[in-house]
Amino acid sequence: MSESQDGNFAAEALGVAVAARVPVLLWGAPGTGKTSAIRAMAEAMSLPCETVIASIREPSDFAGLPVVTGDSVRFAPPQWARRLAEAGTGVLFLDELSTAPPAVQAALLRVVLERTVGDLTLPPDVAVVAAANPPEQAADGWDLSAPLANRLCHLNWETTPRSISDGLAGGWAAPRVPPLPPGWLATEQLQKAMVAAFLQVRPALAIAPPSNAAEAGRGWPSPRTWEMAARLMTATDAAGASDQARSALVRGAVGDGAGIEFLAWLVEMDLPDPEEVLANPASFRLPERGDRAYAALASITAAVAAEPTPERWTAGWQVLGGCAAQVPDVAATAARVLARCRPDGTALPAEIKLFARVLRDAGLISS
Amino acid sequence: MTRESAGPPGALGLPAARLWAAARFPYLASGLFGTQVIEVAGLDGAAIDPRWRLYIDPELAADWTPAELGSQMVHHVCHLLRDHSERAVASDVARADSGQWTRAADAEINDDLIPAGLELPGDPVHPRDFGARPGRLAEDYYALLMGSSQAEGTVRAGQRLDCGSGADGLPREYEAPGGLDPWLADLLLRQVAQDIIEHSKTAGTVPAGLLRWAQEVLSPAVDWRRLLRAELRRAVADVAGAADYSYRRPSRRAAAVSGVVLPALRRPVPELAVVCDTSGSMSDDLLAMALAEVEGLLRALGLARRLRVLACDSAAGAAQRVSSARQVELTGGGGTNMGAGIAAAYALRPRPAVTVVLTDGYTPWPAAEPKGMRVVAGLLGDDARDAPGWARSVRVTRSA
Repeated sequence: MSESQDGNFAAEALGVAVAARVPVLLWGAPGTGKTSAIRAMAEAMSLPCETVIASIREPSDFAGLPVVTGDSVRFAPPQWARRLAEAGTGVLFLDELSTAPPAVQAALLRVVLERTVGDLTLPPDVAVVAAANPPEQAADGWDLSAPLANRLCHLNWETTPRSISDGLAGGWAAPRVPPLPPGWLATEQLQKAMVAAFLQVRPALAIAPPSNAAEAGRGWPSPRTWEMAARLMTATDAAGASDQARSALVRGAVGDGAGIEFLAWLVEMDLPDPEEVLANPASFRLPERGDRAYAALASITAAVAAEPTPERWTAGWQVLGGCAAQVPDVAATAARVLARCRPDGTALPAEIKLFARVLRDAGLISS
Repeated sequence: MTRESAGPPGALGLPAARLWAAARFPYLASGLFGTQVIEVAGLDGAAIDPRWRLYIDPELAADWTPAELGSQMVHHVCHLLRDHSERAVASDVARADSGQWTRAADAEINDDLIPAGLELPGDPVHPRDFGARPGRLAEDYYALLMGSSQAEGTVRAGQRLDCGSGADGLPREYEAPGGLDPWLADLLLRQVAQDIIEHSKTAGTVPAGLLRWAQEVLSPAVDWRRLLRAELRRAVADVAGAADYSYRRPSRRAAAVSGVVLPALRRPVPELAVVCDTSGSMSDDLLAMALAEVEGLLRALGLARRLRVLACDSAAGAAQRVSSARQVELTGGGGTNMGAGIAAAYALRPRPAVTVVLTDGYTPWPAAEPKGMRVVAGLLGDDARDAPGWARSVRVTRSA
């Protein structure tokens, strides 16, 4: 159900990745405007854009042309690399990446991540952007090799009928590259700490190379991509981009499976700690969304049920009582769990009366 | 005119209804509480949109018992769980046919949930209304409904065929902007799936259809066609130097630039063979599907004429070189030995660079990969045995 909206968020995510100078790869069917979007983006930033079509290049165009001079060999960089180096900044656009033969993909490894072409190193301000057609849609396509896939953040470039009609009528909008404030990387350590905390819970996801050929060409979790995800999240925050864009970037870096688990874990992190709430029931703040409220109250009742002392049981009822007016149905659902784990000899709490009416209306207790 | 009903508790009898639903279907609680309820006067029923908002006609709902309103919520949440809006778009449902699609989608939900305790108001849709067996997909019911003209007449009074855009994917004018972001909706969906699995393990019964749905969400089956294509493409690509650069022969460009060493492009065309298990335990339709897939890919790669097919039971028959996989005659027979089939493929001249073995796995295998030949094993059927580690294996099943 997310597909229908992805197009717009892919453009936003692309802008953030370029601003953070993280190598990014757009996947999309032929003719959906990937190339024109990237060119328009470079133009809007008034940066030089060098388009290199990977599928018609040779490995030596990226690894440098071996030139025999005297008794040594130099690896001469091609002209496009020199132009970028002279400008000191710009966009290197690698088109048709998935139709490049394996030897060319191997030569691209250093270009993508380390920006090294032959004996020349491109300035750090050069952004690397690539585009590719899914192998299913290009008859002569090759699956991207796993090492190259691991160096890129993968974004799905999907167009909606709406965006096509807008583009035809009013020209294609260039993806906006948000300006990042100086020193935006200062908070990256925080995001890295979040990733580290998550990987302690799910160590299996620290590194999980793709197990089959079909998954090999997309993002997969490795220390490098987790670091990439942390940087992209920092950039998302610094640019004030949407949560949708953040989700697309994280999943693009570490792959769908690991990305979704990480995002779910982040959302879970926002819930109050049940033990802290039970120690101080007055501190509880009810989350706004109904399902979050349910998750918070369910975690508290589960904590009581795991260790039902009279104090904890009473504290649990205080929390539920505080929510009864705002979300009677959610609180009553949690109350039914709590009622079942009453410690021996504990008096019935006063709060129980607050739920009598809604329970009776629902036919769950007889009047 | 719409109004949010977060306000006065008791409006619509909503809390009691939701509580009833969460008590009867505890494994759907996250989804039920995650749904935002909006009143729309004159809607004449209930409807949901893909962003988890349930629209309810307050006048109509006033007559429903909490159980009936709660059942409406469960029913509509199930439209979202089963992704009926995207599936309607994928099935090319036109606006004029959206009623029939919703009917098919309703049938998919209700056949499972009415036995589990759903108490929908009116006369809910059931697959037997149009003579279908329960437990099938909305797409099947839809094809059935669109195929038979007399099915139109069997819509009974009290059956309303509009569950909103969450069921048929067509936006409505009363839908407000906002709602749950798609990525959060995705997380909510997975939460519900996890709750269902958890509940089935600890507390007890979950309708089989919902359990299957949850397992599919949490560990999606990869389409074997995609896997088989990718494995084949990779095997063909890995064959020595295919369409790749080599310094073994100097490049023709070299004449233009003196002092520079350039590689040349070379492209040996790989030979391919398919070994088919023809023993009695094989199923014809799966074999035909797998063969068609192999052939389709080779045609796309321009290699179809290089394909040779061998039928194999205990000893491989003579290699049949065919122009179309459909010409293969499956000779049938008793015991299987794929080792003999692989050896027969290896003995072909020119030697195939890639051999695809289609089998159910109940066979001895060679101890190691034959030198200079890649083997891709297509394992047919849900209970096929594993292939050895040196072969790249793909499971071919009917369901995915």
